[in-house]
Amino acid sequence: MIIFKNITKFYPPDTFALKNASLHIKPKEFVSIVGRSGTGKTTMVKIMTAEESPTEGRVIIGGWDITEIRMSEVPVLRRQIGVVFQDFKLLGKKTVFENIAFALQTCGTSRQRIIDIVPQVLKIVGLSGKENRYPVQLSGGEQQRVAIARSLVHRPKILIADEPTGNLDSINSKEIIDLLVKINEFGTTVLLVTHNREIVNALNKRVITLDNGKIISDQKRGRYLL
Amino acid sequence: MSLSSIYQIIVFAGQSFWRNFWLSIVTITIIVLALLSINCLIILNVITDTAVNIVKEKVDVSVYFRPAATENQVLEVQTYLSSLTKVKEISYISQQQALQNFRQKHQSDPVIIQSLEELDKNPLGATLIVKAKNIEDYPEILQVLNNSKYNELISDKNFDDNKIYIGKIKKVSDNINWIGLLASSIFIFIAVLIVFNTIRVAIYTHQKEIAIMKLVGAANWFIRSPFLVESIFYGTIAWLIAVGLIYPLLNLLQPFLTNFFLTDSFNIISYFKDNFWSLFGLELLLVVFLNIVSSSVAIRRYLKV
Repeated sequence: MIIFKNITKFYPPDTFALKNASLHIKPKEFVSIVGRSGTGKTTMVKIMTAEESPTEGRVIIGGWDITEIRMSEVPVLRRQIGVVFQDFKLLGKKTVFENIAFALQTCGTSRQRIIDIVPQVLKIVGLSGKENRYPVQLSGGEQQRVAIARSLVHRPKILIADEPTGNLDSINSKEIIDLLVKINEFGTTVLLVTHNREIVNALNKRVITLDNGKIISDQKRGRYLL
Repeated sequence: MSLSSIYQIIVFAGQSFWRNFWLSIVTITIIVLALLSINCLIILNVITDTAVNIVKEKVDVSVYFRPAATENQVLEVQTYLSSLTKVKEISYISQQQALQNFRQKHQSDPVIIQSLEELDKNPLGATLIVKAKNIEDYPEILQVLNNSKYNELISDKNFDDNKIYIGKIKKVSDNINWIGLLASSIFIFIAVLIVFNTIRVAIYTHQKEIAIMKLVGAANWFIRSPFLVESIFYGTIAWLIAVGLIYPLLNLLQPFLTNFFLTDSFNIISYFKDNFWSLFGLELLLVVFLNIVSSSVAIRRYLKV
């Protein structure tokens, strides 16, 4: 599903965000990518979503070599990868329904399809009945659920969660992780980027550990090493 | 591009328009001013062209014949002149008519009238009034007459040369045109800059939406298009306002023009109505084109997709 072949990312004048990183993530896997801040986790996400291109190496997503992806092809790739962030990235002046619908509107989806799809994803994330609320009227955990719902509208094969629990308390964090596990069980490959030791240890799933831009560990049922 | 996409682009453009409402108003106002200045320039051109044509219409050559010249001889000259390609029309004033006109003109002057009474015969000859097709042709027509065998029948040729007046009108109108052109150019330049800046601000105020659009896989053209459409909105709304303002303005102007030209035949409102699409249509194309160019530059520069 996701293949990194000897990826190096260099930022002039002298910063190596990733050094010769190689990994292979299979379809339907749940993988945690862990490491300290500034160790290259987010760079890895940016390379997967074609926000950045590697200095060296090759990236293959779903059999598609995106190393030298054309600008016009990037949106096609991004519809296949759902991404959620620590800061939710919701629009404050739009309701829950409108925030999720926005992702479909911007891709030219018809109104009827939007009306069909949005309640479905809201049901998956457990927010049915809260369609008309504004982000400010929701808890942090609920806001992150909206962000996850939005990332699911295109039925992506991969879901990348970049520090999704960074702004949440432990109870909300657990709920979000449970939701990600549930989405994984539906067949979506999930990449959890985090530095939350408790979450990683509780998951008991594959863990890739980054340190100083290098993959220092890749365990099938791993724990937080650092 | 699906209908849903087109609809969404228009909706997003409209939302952007309302979000920066006051900036949108300023942008539209500047474009309206640019369009009004262009139309003032057009009005001025129409007025000066009309003035020049009216003066040109009044230019003619009066060929006065000796009293001894017979009617047949005068008519022969008329036939000869009519054969010249540069002559537009010739009016014949007989000896009798010339005398009558003279009497009428001087009826309040008893000395002249008495002097006429004392004469045995009509002292005036017949007259031919010649109009040329172009004002530049008069000297040549006069030259032809001077060199013809009929020259000895002619006592005088009176060429009322209005070329000087026409030249003056043209010079004044050229100067006003230059000033108008300069003012229009400045307004257009400012309008282009304002549209550029408005789109730049719109891009900044939509940074979060743009980031989310990119995140969820919106096509690059879809992210850019609302800003282009927004600039087209500005141009079209400004154009509608300008057209709405021009006609009342022309209504106010028309009585002054009727008084000035002393004729009802010239109607500036009819002129604008008859040439609506060739004037306003072109202006709409121009303003939309400039707005698209200006916003495209802003999008290329400030919107990274």
